[in-house]
Amino acid sequence: MTSPDITASAGGVRFLGDRKAYWRLLVRGAGLLMLTLGIYRFWLATDMRRFLWSNTQVDGETLEYTGTPIELLLGFLTAIAILIPVYAAFFVAALDLGPLGRWSGLIGFLALFVLGQYAVYRARRYRLTRTIYRGLRFHQGGSAWRYAVCAIFWWTLTILTLGLAYPWKEARLERFKMRNTYYGDLAGRFDGTGLSLFLRGLPMWLLIFIPLAAGVTALIQSFDWKALSDAVAQSGDDVLGRIEGSNPDLAGAIVFAMLATGAAVCIAALLYPAFQAVLLRWWASGLRFGEFEIHSKLRTAQVYGAYVRFLWYSILFAIVAAILSIPVLLLVNVFMGGADASVGKELAGSLLVLIGYVIVALGYSTIYRATVLLSLWRFTAESLELKGIAVLAQVKATGAPSSALGEGLADALNVGGI
Amino acid sequence: MNSGTGIYFDGTTSARLSVTVDLGPSALRILAADGRLLAEWPYAGLESQSAPDNILRLGLRENKVLARLEIIDPQFATEIDARADSIDRSGAMDRRKRANVIGWSVAATISLLLVAYFGVPALAGRLAPLVPRVIENKLGAAVDAQVRSTLDTRKAGAAFECGNADSERPGRAAINKIIRRLETAAALPAPLLPAVVRRREANAIALPGAHIYVYQGLIDKAESADELAAVIAHEIGHIAHRDGTKSVLQAAGLSFLFGMMLGDFVGGGAVVVAAKTVMQSSYARDVEASADAYGVALMNKAGANGRALGTILTRIGGATEPGMKILMDHPETKARVAAINAITPPRTVTPFLDAAEWAALKKICG
Ligand SMILES: [Zn+2]
Repeated sequence: MTSPDITASAGGVRFLGDRKAYWRLLVRGAGLLMLTLGIYRFWLATDMRRFLWSNTQVDGETLEYTGTPIELLLGFLTAIAILIPVYAAFFVAALDLGPLGRWSGLIGFLALFVLGQYAVYRARRYRLTRTIYRGLRFHQGGSAWRYAVCAIFWWTLTILTLGLAYPWKEARLERFKMRNTYYGDLAGRFDGTGLSLFLRGLPMWLLIFIPLAAGVTALIQSFDWKALSDAVAQSGDDVLGRIEGSNPDLAGAIVFAMLATGAAVCIAALLYPAFQAVLLRWWASGLRFGEFEIHSKLRTAQVYGAYVRFLWYSILFAIVAAILSIPVLLLVNVFMGGADASVGKELAGSLLVLIGYVIVALGYSTIYRATVLLSLWRFTAESLELKGIAVLAQVKATGAPSSALGEGLADALNVGGI
Repeated sequence: MNSGTGIYFDGTTSARLSVTVDLGPSALRILAADGRLLAEWPYAGLESQSAPDNILRLGLRENKVLARLEIIDPQFATEIDARADSIDRSGAMDRRKRANVIGWSVAATISLLLVAYFGVPALAGRLAPLVPRVIENKLGAAVDAQVRSTLDTRKAGAAFECGNADSERPGRAAINKIIRRLETAAALPAPLLPAVVRRREANAIALPGAHIYVYQGLIDKAESADELAAVIAHEIGHIAHRDGTKSVLQAAGLSFLFGMMLGDFVGGGAVVVAAKTVMQSSYARDVEASADAYGVALMNKAGANGRALGTILTRIGGATEPGMKILMDHPETKARVAAINAITPPRTVTPFLDAAEWAALKKICG
């Protein structure tokens, strides 16, 4: 027999996955999700990862995902067992604190946010330790609590600066993650800087915030503040009417502010794929493992292409769903119509409507995963240029698999992951 | 074909080794290019790992390191597959496992629904009497503050409650007389905290911690003190059964069951809300029926006319009610009145108030 030429496919990153196979996997998964009211999500997530990992080829060798659905299920159950007492404690504390009880909502939100970030970091550790390349696993050290504190600090700063601190937040957190990431005994790092992302993102930020700022300014200027405070101070019912009376320009300013906000939202939606391309390019180009360097040439047009595909399939799906819903709605009408509908008939009718809704929601999420998410993965992977690849051939094994608790927490807290 | 080529990673370094694989009788032998034996893997311990479609990637079960052997030649891969039962290239074993999982998941879902329908109300019913009074009162205070601020849409504050102005005092005295008589007959462990509030709807509500709100609209619709007393007796039923605490426990239990266990896969949020709503209304129908029974029994015990509850319900509710039956948290009025009359023997009764007191009560909200 002839020995296959292994080196032919070497060099660079390739994606070998067949789009149709991924579609099949997702559609079957969506059906089973519905049948099992969501319990199948651990199996679907594992299938998706196996597909994406094992079809991504780096320097002639594909990645391997060794996580199992049972691990995810157990992680989820453990997370639930931890969260029940936490929720119960919050409930009792909110009753007990009296005047402090008003703050319990905020405290609870902050605590859950920290726990969520903790979960995000732990989930990353799980995924890395289940990622095998050339017979060695990736792993991740570092304290998840420190990461969570760091994350809450940078998120607060990002919100306070209306997003201007976002690039530095991304750089900081990615540096934290990558500094603690290892392939065998090869330590990772992140070389991207906040400033370079800031400079690339600033034009988009300005395009969105200039109309917003104009709208808000017009609104503030049209107020006659003294007349307004007088109007509010007067007691009586029709406060709004008096505010309007004291500010004749207000109606025009409100219309202008609404138009400006609408424009900002439209611009933001149109720019989102471009922003995603900038972010992915910047992120991938900052990844390092020792002397191994990555650079991404992801094209913005590719990201737009992914969203156009999504829109196209969505429209098609909407038409099919609309046509198929006509007989279903007629049936629902038969069940629910008339004053003498029994509880059983009403239940059947509502169930039909609910199932229809879930099918539509699952349909869109499936389309999104099969178009946008798959394309982003594939285009990003194929856009990578690798330098110093030789170091990847001399790595020694270290690290052990970690528990899936982080994934479970992330799932229960709804902060992504699965 | 007893020999072929492959790529071997020994699991301790990332070096890629081109190897020759010999298929022995019970194990495959992995040989380096120079003929050195790198590893010998028994067929029984082989495991196929996730890989692209055209590659057979093998590992050894319970191996301390993640050594991998990759076979690219499809014919040779089939040879190995034929020798090792544990390799699952066609995915048949995996499919069987999946089918099992799906069966179990569906069973779990059904049992979850059964627990929600039967288990949650039963558990809440058992737990509610165990909640200490102190906690119930705190819960009541919290719910009370919230209910008050949602009911008091005009932000009237203290003036939202009727019976505080001088002209309203006699009305207040009259309603207190009704409540005292019912309270004595009921022998509750804690005193009631009643209030009449300026709301147009003909309704009354009971909250945990013995709070009762009687709406002005109900007093307007009532044609006798006995009718009003009957509704209050029904609300006392809710307090005696600790229904407020039960419904808080039920809501928490349902949120946990549906919200957390089922997780929120896309579109699942609507399923959770719908399931919770339907379950809660179904619990509520039973709760209302037993509060009716309690109210009628209390009226009888206090020497008053239990049928007055049916009379006022008929006037307020009418014969048919709009809306969906599965979302209705009260039983249908017709059925309710029939049930009330069935447990009330016709008898001579002492009215709650005389004509003057009743007229004063009618003016409790000015
Ligand atoms: Zn009731």
